[in-house]
Amino acid sequence: MTEEVSKVDKVVEIPMTVEIPVGPQHPAVHEPILIKVYAEGEYVVKAEAYTGYNHRGIEKLAEKKSFYQDIFLCGRVCGICNAVHADCYVRALEHILDKEPPPRAKYLRTLVMELERLHSHMLILAVTAEIVGFDTLFMHMMRDRELIMKAKEIVTGNRVLADYIMVGGVRRDLNTEKIDKLKKILAKVEPRIRHYWRVFEEDVTLNKRLVDVGRLTPAQVTSHGLLGPVARASGIATDSRYHDAYDAYAEVPFRIVTRREGDCMARSLVRFEEMQVSLEICRYILNHLPGGEAVPDERRLPRRFPEGEAFTTVEAPRGELTYYVMSKGGVNPYRVKIRTPSYNNVINTVPFYVGHTIADVPAILASYDPCISCMERVTVIDSRRGIRRKVSMRDLARGEA
Amino acid sequence: MSSDPLEIPDVLKPIENLLKGVAIMKPGRVVALLESSDVVKAYVALKARYGETGLYFSTLVATDLKEEGKIRIDYYINVLEKNQYVVLRTHVPRDDPRIESLLKEAPAALPGECEAYDLLGVIFEGNPHLRRAFFVPEEVAGKGIFPLRKDAGV
Repeated sequence: MTEEVSKVDKVVEIPMTVEIPVGPQHPAVHEPILIKVYAEGEYVVKAEAYTGYNHRGIEKLAEKKSFYQDIFLCGRVCGICNAVHADCYVRALEHILDKEPPPRAKYLRTLVMELERLHSHMLILAVTAEIVGFDTLFMHMMRDRELIMKAKEIVTGNRVLADYIMVGGVRRDLNTEKIDKLKKILAKVEPRIRHYWRVFEEDVTLNKRLVDVGRLTPAQVTSHGLLGPVARASGIATDSRYHDAYDAYAEVPFRIVTRREGDCMARSLVRFEEMQVSLEICRYILNHLPGGEAVPDERRLPRRFPEGEAFTTVEAPRGELTYYVMSKGGVNPYRVKIRTPSYNNVINTVPFYVGHTIADVPAILASYDPCISCMERVTVIDSRRGIRRKVSMRDLARGEA
Repeated sequence: MSSDPLEIPDVLKPIENLLKGVAIMKPGRVVALLESSDVVKAYVALKARYGETGLYFSTLVATDLKEEGKIRIDYYINVLEKNQYVVLRTHVPRDDPRIESLLKEAPAALPGECEAYDLLGVIFEGNPHLRRAFFVPEEVAGKGIFPLRKDAGV
């Protein structure tokens, strides 16, 4: 391939703007990142990442707000996986306070986080379908994703930003009527997910675009710190739900889904199987919800925190999310550090675009689940003729650039 | 954080000779206190013992300890084989924060090192990708402000 590309004298520079919803000293809910891809002919020869377009300074802000205000701040790091951010931060606070939430609250937290995994995986799989040109599948999947959003609303009271988790428990409890409604929704969603799973496995177009594309070896995954479904699709069985067994994961039966292929298709199929596991977890929780209180009395929570530090992890839909919270005593944290999974998965994978065709770049990027919403700006530079023009990511993916 | 100088956890056996102290951070993370010049050696020793796919570099946390005149750097490493988080903890002087880059041994350290440089001014020697405005907006970075320092005034 190198000999072939060296004959081509046209250099195409493709900066793409994507949006990763990562943490604090870092991105915002929709943080744009620029990945400059240099290609010779059809093949990528060099790639660079540029970040910092919308740095919100959440870590600095967190130092200035109180421990409790930061729960809402952390929930707003990411719009899609807000409950996992809040859960991870709140558990760090609970470790500093030496406080343990009641079993019912732990189960409810787990339920919300699994619903979040379901709708997040459905979103990125729908986007993957759209990127490779299968718009109908995108529409259908997004329609069925609404059912999960409804389920999340039934549990938390909010469709998107849950603000559900608080120190020592959760904000709302479930009653029998709501549990029945949730069970009905899960029963309705399951056959739909199985259907889409089969479409991904059998559809010719999807197979052509995803199989053998963006392959990552297990050693590349660990040396570059890749996480979540990206790591598991390359055979690395890493899952914070297992490593840390937080909330109800010590009691709820589940399995770590892994595959060996390590390509874009494997990453998609890992997500499908994980959705199946998530549905099983949700059903288990609804059938085995422990009794007792789940909502603590907010007025009895301590305002001042003791000195201490904690490092918590949570398995967000995109991989392991970590929080470090340090308290020097008082009402404000001394340091809050958030490391989101996209932070590793997007920046560290940049070298792996080399050798693929330009049209594969969006498919590979989507397979890392970077929470795409503003990647629609791409510039193509023809250095020989000095022409520069912008194309949409969709045109690029379809080879029309 | 509680210190117990007598007991060295199993997971730290490969770097026993480099340890200056051991502590536990909640919940159950093993903290290895090291000289700043020993961090890369410690990571190499852990990698040699647990294998390239037996651990991964997870998180880099740099904290400004203004009152002590130091910047603390924590390297969080997930040892998959032992199902245990190891924290390599070291301190560098606040007025000249320099430490050897881990990039050659762990490419995963790239965003962590770039971020710590941009936000706290820690220089990771041997990392060619360090630059201001990696995350911080140009107008702040241009003034030479490191926003996460306690006296940054932002």
